[in-house]
Amino acid sequence: MSTTGYDATGVTLKATAYGVVAFLVLANLVPFLFILSVSFMPPSEFFTDPHLVPYEPTLEAWTSGFEELRGNLVNSFLIGAGTALLALVITIPGAYAFARKEFYGKTAGFYAIISAMMFPYILLVIPIMDLWTALGVYNTIFGMILAYQVFVTPFSIWILRDFFENLPTDIEEAAQVYGCTQFTAFVRVILPLAAPGIVAVGFLAFLTGWNDFLFANLLTTGTGPVPAVPVLYGTIGGGSGERVYWGKLMAETLIIGTPPTIIYLVARNYLESAFSV
Amino acid sequence: MSTRRLFDIDGRTERYRSVLRENWFTYLLIMPVLLFLIVLMWLPFLQGIYMSFNEWPFGGDPTWIGAANYEFLLNWEPFYTSLKATAIFSLTTVFQLGVALAAALAVRELRRGKSFVSAAFLLSYTMPPLVIGTIWAYLLEPDFGPVFGYLTELNVLGETIYWGSSGPMSLAVVMFVTTWTFWPFMFLIISASLESIPEELYESARMYGAGPVQTFLRVTLPQLKSAILVALSIRIIWNMTKISQVLQLTNGGPGYDTSILAVLLYQFAYERGQMGISYAIGIVLLVMTLGFVFVFIREFERASEGAGA
Repeated sequence: MSTTGYDATGVTLKATAYGVVAFLVLANLVPFLFILSVSFMPPSEFFTDPHLVPYEPTLEAWTSGFEELRGNLVNSFLIGAGTALLALVITIPGAYAFARKEFYGKTAGFYAIISAMMFPYILLVIPIMDLWTALGVYNTIFGMILAYQVFVTPFSIWILRDFFENLPTDIEEAAQVYGCTQFTAFVRVILPLAAPGIVAVGFLAFLTGWNDFLFANLLTTGTGPVPAVPVLYGTIGGGSGERVYWGKLMAETLIIGTPPTIIYLVARNYLESAFSV
Repeated sequence: MSTRRLFDIDGRTERYRSVLRENWFTYLLIMPVLLFLIVLMWLPFLQGIYMSFNEWPFGGDPTWIGAANYEFLLNWEPFYTSLKATAIFSLTTVFQLGVALAAALAVRELRRGKSFVSAAFLLSYTMPPLVIGTIWAYLLEPDFGPVFGYLTELNVLGETIYWGSSGPMSLAVVMFVTTWTFWPFMFLIISASLESIPEELYESARMYGAGPVQTFLRVTLPQLKSAILVALSIRIIWNMTKISQVLQLTNGGPGYDTSILAVLLYQFAYERGQMGISYAIGIVLLVMTLGFVFVFIREFERASEGAGA
């Protein structure tokens, strides 16, 4: 009797689990379906009754949206790529030291860096605006790349240290026995082995640069290298009630949102291994 | 690495010197990170604290005014509206945890398709938050957005809701969108930790005849403790400082009803160019955030001691 009772709860549990999953998958995908459909609608169609399949699909929203964003997308790409590169240059040596060297102040230094992740970054924007103006990098792509390091370096150190730490001990010495110097052992043995972690950090850094709104909006002006995300903000301005060509706007959201999604799908395995706490 | 000489004053400088001599290359390796964090984080932060005691127009000359910025805030009615909105808004973190925990536990039960399901879940998190905010601004638009379109067509609602003109409803919308966007982050951390719980624990729980609820409370939850702790602390802070969606959906309105502190900070800096007041708000936000995290960690420790597991 107890067995049947157990089975019944087992079945209920399974059913609940599948129900929850189905609900959440739909809740995540259906909104995007609507956006996709609207982006193919001509302006006249938004104001009719809601429908999922456009009556007269058109590419107009996509072409005009892409036209409008082209320069900004290039800026976004440069900022994302620059952020990733600079982050790797800065953090690979540091993460390597924290993982494989013993030195005085190691633990304290590591936590000082990691705890920066808990700092509310919005507090830095204002002084950085001021500082960047003084340094002459306000409203430049380089200034943005520099500013994003404050988001990116702490988690890069965190992820990369784990990767370096998990490599076999004494591997550098083994390489040195075969004639490598400390430096070539690092470049030719350690770096290739840590490649998954490096890729993960690179992608995350790129996503940070691509996705951010706060710094992107506050560290540029209309005349400067504005990345793609802040352009969206100008469009509806917090529901000011102006006439908005929603089809084009939705096409633009998808244009901006697609590269991060593709990157995520390509880099998933790396990213997931990087995220285990 | 002995610490027995740490309190030996005479030996101390000599010790530092020899430490430096032995490890100079290692210190060189970590120098770039430390330098960047000092220049990008601590210097701006200290300058910001100084700014908050000044009248500081953007690009102009500062004037020292003592605590006047803080006094202004304390006597300014909307500041209290903003504090209240921030406190309510911070509940989004709890909702995110709820959804993420349910999702992670449910996905674990799946036999196949795990990969597809978690990819679908993460869609909203990989895109820029402002993109998601814009998408929901359309979906929830009262006159021709599909959500209210279908609700009125199917007669669930008599007429559409102009939520933008109601403070509580605007706050609810903003919280809903924030939850929808950011729960996958917690899902990632919790499900990674869930995967790493050793199967033996479940086997022995089964042998002792524990039911599903008991297994969850006595095995799963204690094992997830540190993952939940990390995820919640990070999200408490990050949620309170994300402004792009609020700006896009309500621009802080109606009135100041959805102007959480971070939005207020943004408005003072960007729209009014009053950097001093803006940073004073930032200090309040920092204290509030740290307070939340502190209380949360203390309660968490107490609760997990009480559970005795």
